[in-house]
Amino acid sequence: MVDMGLAVKIAGGGFGVVFFLLTILWFTIWLTKVVAEKITKIINK
Amino acid sequence: MFGLLESGFQFFTWGNALMLIIGAVLIYLAIGKKMEPLLLLPIGFAIMLVNLPVGGLMDYEHEIKAKKSGIISQISVEEGNVFDKDATIVQADTGAIASPVFGRVKAIKVKKGQQVAAGDVVAVILTSQQTNQTEIPTKPIGLLAIFFSFGIMWQILPPLIFLCLGALTDFGPMLANPKTLLLGAAAQFGVYFAFFLSLLFGFSFNEAASIGIIGGAEGPTTIYVTAQLAPHIIGATAVACYSYMALVPLILPPVIKLLTTKKERGIYMKPTLRPVSKLEKILFPLVTTVIVILFVPASAPLIGCLMLGNLFRESGVVERLSNTAQTVFIDVMTIILTLAIGGTMVAENFLQVKTLLILVLGVISFASAAAAGVILAKIMNLFLKEKINPMIGGAGVSAVPMSARVVQVMGQQENKKNFLLMHAMGPNVAGAIGAAIAGGVFIGILG
Repeated sequence: MVDMGLAVKIAGGGFGVVFFLLTILWFTIWLTKVVAEKITKIINK
Repeated sequence: MFGLLESGFQFFTWGNALMLIIGAVLIYLAIGKKMEPLLLLPIGFAIMLVNLPVGGLMDYEHEIKAKKSGIISQISVEEGNVFDKDATIVQADTGAIASPVFGRVKAIKVKKGQQVAAGDVVAVILTSQQTNQTEIPTKPIGLLAIFFSFGIMWQILPPLIFLCLGALTDFGPMLANPKTLLLGAAAQFGVYFAFFLSLLFGFSFNEAASIGIIGGAEGPTTIYVTAQLAPHIIGATAVACYSYMALVPLILPPVIKLLTTKKERGIYMKPTLRPVSKLEKILFPLVTTVIVILFVPASAPLIGCLMLGNLFRESGVVERLSNTAQTVFIDVMTIILTLAIGGTMVAENFLQVKTLLILVLGVISFASAAAAGVILAKIMNLFLKEKINPMIGGAGVSAVPMSARVVQVMGQQENKKNFLLMHAMGPNVAGAIGAAIAGGVFIGILG
């Protein structure tokens, strides 16, 4: 008999982690863009 | 006996014949229909090779040991003969000594009337069955078995292919429009939906995870996860994944059309994305590696290699490494990987009801992944000032770059001015990252 409670935890938790991480990456990409622009400005000075 | 005059005819079964036909069909699809020829051609040929009995290309050696001490009363299977799983090989007065796998007797190590102690080797057998090495340890003997054991079970080939894919991938479109990352994440719903369905059909947790990950539409990820969680079904999951990747032009359009109106499919998106600086492109693999691996350590081999390959590409200082990864190296890895995968598809392993179920669940996983991407794109449109064409959500299913191309073609059919390829590449590569993370999560929990 499959433990559906565990299945829900694995699926829900897993999907949540994927979503959370890719959202963090979205934020990171934005941060990377800002940092890259600052570095470029400093180098160009 | 294993002599020069031994032929394969006496061991040839209807199952072998059917597998030869399946191998030939894959080769036909590769040559005649140009469907994923780099993958299906060697897989098809390997299937034919391993279904020619006594060839031994996928043979593993396994020692059958006595569990209790006793006196041998009968040798039930002679040397050179084949037997089914759980067949009695040797009979002792304290009980039968059976083989936990199907195979062929290589050598009988005891004689009738001989006293054996618990743990003594009574026979050495050859099998093509993939086993859990902690329960049934086997030693690879055949060429393809060696490829499989040291290439896939040792987790070498899939991460190296990911390195090559990293060198081939331009993350620029995703960096230019990072909200498309969410579409790649949404598409991983298909993985978990198929995981649930597989459990309902009676598969174990590890098998269900391996079937679910087919929806990630990344061959190396599927192989990597299945090799660790359920190696006995690796042939079916790998073939399902690669076949459905080739069938994306048939699977994706009906799903998209079912979930969108003509007006939605015609939503215009500006053809140009913001320019992404070289520095951003260099920083992305570095930052992603740190963040993803800190959160999901089990994804380190896949994400680490993917990002290293991408750094080769974007750094601009290791052109030789980047070029090698994009050309010769990926070809060599692909040859070994596909031969090893095809090698697992011996009739006794492959011709099971389970295989058919895996193929059905695989396509459900694919379709639901695409559907989830499209639905999230529609939800995002409720909040976005500048609307996105919901079809690009379907490209979140990964299968880089096939699904993005399908979206581009569909976009052109609805609105001649629409060039969706670059927009669809965002969710497309995000889907590849998402699949690697989903695989890492499964391995982290179940591995």
